[in-house]
Amino acid sequence: MAPLVSRKTLIGGMTVIGLVALWFGLTTLTGLVTGARFPSPAEFWFSLKQINGRGYAGSTLASHAVHSLKLVLMGFTVAVMTGVPLGLWMGWSRRVEAFINPVFLIIRPIPPLAWIPLAILWLGLGDAAKILVIWFSAFVPSAINAFTGVRNIDKPVLEAARMLGTPRWRMVREVILPASLPMIFTGLRLSLQASWTTLVAAELVGALVGVGFVLNMAQQDIYPGMILVGMVTVGILGWATTVLLARIERRALAWNVAARD
Amino acid sequence: MGSISFRNVDKVFGHGAGGVKALDDINLEIADKEFVAIVGPSGCGKTTCLRMVAGFEAASAGSVLVNGRPVTAPGPDRAVVFQQFALFPWKTVRENIELGLRNKNLPIGERNDLVAGALKLMNLETHVDAFPHQLSGGMQQRVAIARAYVLDPEVLLMDEPFGALDAQTRVVMQEELVRLARHNPRTVLFITHAVEEAVYLADRVAIMTRRPGRIKEVLDIKAVRERENWDSHARIEDVMDLESFVHLRTHIWKSLREEKGFKDV
Repeated sequence: MAPLVSRKTLIGGMTVIGLVALWFGLTTLTGLVTGARFPSPAEFWFSLKQINGRGYAGSTLASHAVHSLKLVLMGFTVAVMTGVPLGLWMGWSRRVEAFINPVFLIIRPIPPLAWIPLAILWLGLGDAAKILVIWFSAFVPSAINAFTGVRNIDKPVLEAARMLGTPRWRMVREVILPASLPMIFTGLRLSLQASWTTLVAAELVGALVGVGFVLNMAQQDIYPGMILVGMVTVGILGWATTVLLARIERRALAWNVAARD
Repeated sequence: MGSISFRNVDKVFGHGAGGVKALDDINLEIADKEFVAIVGPSGCGKTTCLRMVAGFEAASAGSVLVNGRPVTAPGPDRAVVFQQFALFPWKTVRENIELGLRNKNLPIGERNDLVAGALKLMNLETHVDAFPHQLSGGMQQRVAIARAYVLDPEVLLMDEPFGALDAQTRVVMQEELVRLARHNPRTVLFITHAVEEAVYLADRVAIMTRRPGRIKEVLDIKAVRERENWDSHARIEDVMDLESFVHLRTHIWKSLREEKGFKDV
């Protein structure tokens, strides 16, 4: 019989408890780290209560978090909806690859965060600028991995589909897309990470609401407790969206041996 | 109808001085419903012959004809069974077998009947909803053969179909293929490097030289098989013990060994 909690979960939980104990020990218990550098658990708890109750930086934690989450999901979706089809197309057609690849080669070395000033200049401090920057950063991993996915398709599988007289659109939908799906999901994971990184950076630089804005305000207020609240929030949101994506992946790739553990 | 003709076929891979001649003046006529196996040393271009009939490669010179018409592209009239099965891992057994029929736009009722027939033919009824990775290699190749047979192709192209299987499975599949070929004959081009397999399965065996591959000799197995009544033996090992079988096998072995002798000894 399988135990109620797996060994892995148990060890993971113990690590977290150990870290919290260490945190408590270094701050409250011994005072080795002062509150001006890193908040104690009590200060963290106080900041959390404050932002959930009265609010901070214009609104409550929930509305900051929901706003950030919404932007990430929108930017991520736009990036995936454009990046994956383009990657598939480049993978399928050498001519398309020849056209698009130079653009990639020029744009790729530019860090996505370097687009932030231009985006703000074009679109201001609102949501549109952030979605644009997320799109820039999350688009590339989606496209490149979809491209690699198509190029790595087992050649006999494609030949079998051609031999069976598979028409063009069915070929894309039922052969090329599913065959590339494991690589596409690798791209989506990287795109999701890129989306969070870019969003927080964009909100740090210029925003009026959002978790990155909370971090920015807390820094200006010299308020370590609130900084930690912002960091933990981003961590939890990033983790939750990653877990969700992994669930979708497991479902979509049920046929794939490599994806099963 | 399903005849195959190779007429003065050359195949060169690459261009100019860097080009490698793989096939040299291949001439071979395969009649409708005839089972022909090609054996030859590795790298002699036997698989290339099959790939040209399938439409995956074009001849550099000469012509490859099916029913007198030049081959231009792959198509379901020339079903291929690949060495590595080449199933669609994301499709179930049924979906794999069904794809070619859907491509032909057959109505669903007819489709289901044909799939059911193919499943029964290859003893796959209990694995209809399995994914390929849940099946053994032998089972996967059964699916691939069912996927080819269900199309009722004029020509069946088998590229070392049992090469990736273990010895026992291989024997079972060879016996099944004989059963299929005798009861439901059609034109088969069968590529193998296993001499016994070729003699056991084929009506005629074509022996190729090392690269650049040429047809060295074509042996009429069917005449011997019918004269010595091989098919009265249910088991492959009984056939392989017959003097007439051993004689043919040894002949082909010697012929192939001469080819290898140029290089290996």
